[in-house]
Amino acid sequence: MSMVRRIDWSFFALLAFVVVFFVFMLAPILVVVIVSFTSAGFIAFPVPGWSTKWFAHIFQYKPFVDALIVSIEIAIGATILAGLLGVPACLFLARSRSRWAGAVMTFLLSPLSMPMIVIGFASLFFLSFLGFGVSFAALLITHTVVCLPYLVRTVAGVYAGLPRSYEESASILGAGPLRVFWHVTLPLIRPGIMAGSLFSFLTSFDNLPISYFFGSASTNTLPVVMLSYMENQFDPTIAALSTLQMALAVVGLIVVDRIYGIDKMTVAA
Amino acid sequence: MTNLTRRTFLGAGTALGTSFVTGGLITGGLSRTAYAQSAEITVTAFGGVWEKAVRDCFVAPFEAKTHDKANVSLGDPAQWLAQVEANPARPPLDVLIMTPDLALSAAKAGLVDDFTVDKLPNLAKIPKELTDSVMGKGTIFDYGVGGITYNKKTVSNPPKSFAEFVDRVSSGEFVASVPSISYAVTPIMLIWAMAKALGGGVDNVDPFFKAMAKMKDNLVFWGSPNDFFNQLSSGEADLGVYFDGRTWNHYDSGATWIDFLNPEEGGALNGVAVQKPKNANPAAWAYLNEILDAGNQAKFAEILNYGVTNTDVVYSDKLKPRVTPWQKTSFPPYEQIAKVRNEWVDRWNREIGR
Repeated sequence: MSMVRRIDWSFFALLAFVVVFFVFMLAPILVVVIVSFTSAGFIAFPVPGWSTKWFAHIFQYKPFVDALIVSIEIAIGATILAGLLGVPACLFLARSRSRWAGAVMTFLLSPLSMPMIVIGFASLFFLSFLGFGVSFAALLITHTVVCLPYLVRTVAGVYAGLPRSYEESASILGAGPLRVFWHVTLPLIRPGIMAGSLFSFLTSFDNLPISYFFGSASTNTLPVVMLSYMENQFDPTIAALSTLQMALAVVGLIVVDRIYGIDKMTVAA
Repeated sequence: MTNLTRRTFLGAGTALGTSFVTGGLITGGLSRTAYAQSAEITVTAFGGVWEKAVRDCFVAPFEAKTHDKANVSLGDPAQWLAQVEANPARPPLDVLIMTPDLALSAAKAGLVDDFTVDKLPNLAKIPKELTDSVMGKGTIFDYGVGGITYNKKTVSNPPKSFAEFVDRVSSGEFVASVPSISYAVTPIMLIWAMAKALGGGVDNVDPFFKAMAKMKDNLVFWGSPNDFFNQLSSGEADLGVYFDGRTWNHYDSGATWIDFLNPEEGGALNGVAVQKPKNANPAAWAYLNEILDAGNQAKFAEILNYGVTNTDVVYSDKLKPRVTPWQKTSFPPYEQIAKVRNEWVDRWNREIGR
């Protein structure tokens, strides 16, 4: 009886829950990774044999390579633009006493609360009206709009938590506005910028609903080409591409962690 | 001082944004100028083997004959229609590949040009019904048939008609996979086709919904064509309503256990239409004429395993038994279906829910 009393059932229940949770989360991903190494010409599980030919096929299919380049360009461009527009806005709004500041901040964050497909559809018509049409510039503008909240939210959160005394001390000691920003403010908000930039890049890179409306021969992004390919082709190239994307994401996170430290960024977020 | 810094940066951000917007306008303007001066057109294709077939069978002969360039934009009809709707004066696409229902929408909205033999000599070889089906503002150049695809390992004696399909699935002899309502052509390939086969039609789809109620315990649904194949290969389903061309593509990829039959009542013809947006580059006519050419279509059919519409096309020995002549299919009244489509979707959601 005493043995039974010592068993901590809550511990086993929690352990079982965690195991089931991780299996539930990881099993579909694992299946995709396994299927990407199949020798069969179609997606089937379990796989009949092993091959890396579908990874080679990714690079043989030119639209994938072209679209990957566009996706990277757009994700980097939208992140930089969101930073250039969002960081100054945060510095102003986070400490503004104006009654409009809250409303402007909410407005900047509003793309988060709208379905992306609505933003994409509306932007197509609006930017076409302005003369941008279906172009790289139009795609970049719309991606910037949806990336902006990620940078604004994280940078504003970090900056609002900083005591004013740091910047005031630097000013009292004779530093000009730019020196205050460069030597005091920027280092302090850098975790927020890094975290926001990471979210922004990933949001843009994976985006389908917006990119879908601006896809053309020269502006198709990887998710748009993947969707079009998947609807009409049955081979495991998409599984291989997904595996490659996951591998790149993991490598990217490891590199960022080594250079900067994921902990600092997640604290900021 | 601090406020000044903030304002400086806010101002800098605004200036950059303005520069960016101005630059975009200039760039956009320049790109359009370049487009107007060059003999380049932008055509459309679905991804994967479709895109390769479009390049090999249509783009290559077009470029060889005209020395113009055709850029290929990948995507899908809803996307392309939205882009043309947003830019009717300067459409970003010169040739559209559309499903018949969207082709009709484009025709009714006045977004596309009339197809005539003057502009397209090869149109004379396309059956008139296929051009009339999209109001003469385009034509169907390629088609598939929504029939019965089955796993030969588990179904040795497949149902030969939709009526037999319903009876044998209802009795529990097979588990069937049918397209869900989220799939764009389900109202045509399943609701209308089965209603018609069971004695109904556009005005009466009760037979279809009654059949679905009878089969409900032995049905699974597919949301995308790949789902169907996975269900069949995993054993989750034995047979289902699917396309002929896709079935043969699976077969040629190594899934030799799969087979297809056109039901006795005739499976629904799922056509692919081509259209030219109004104000698109006139060079698109030459490209469209290549799409309707018999030799190019025969090559296209050989790659995709789907039927094509030029009456001069001679299929290879491999393809001949696979392609169902369009006259043996059920030709959907696309325009009438478009009118009641939403009603059918509502009823599906109420009665079937998946």
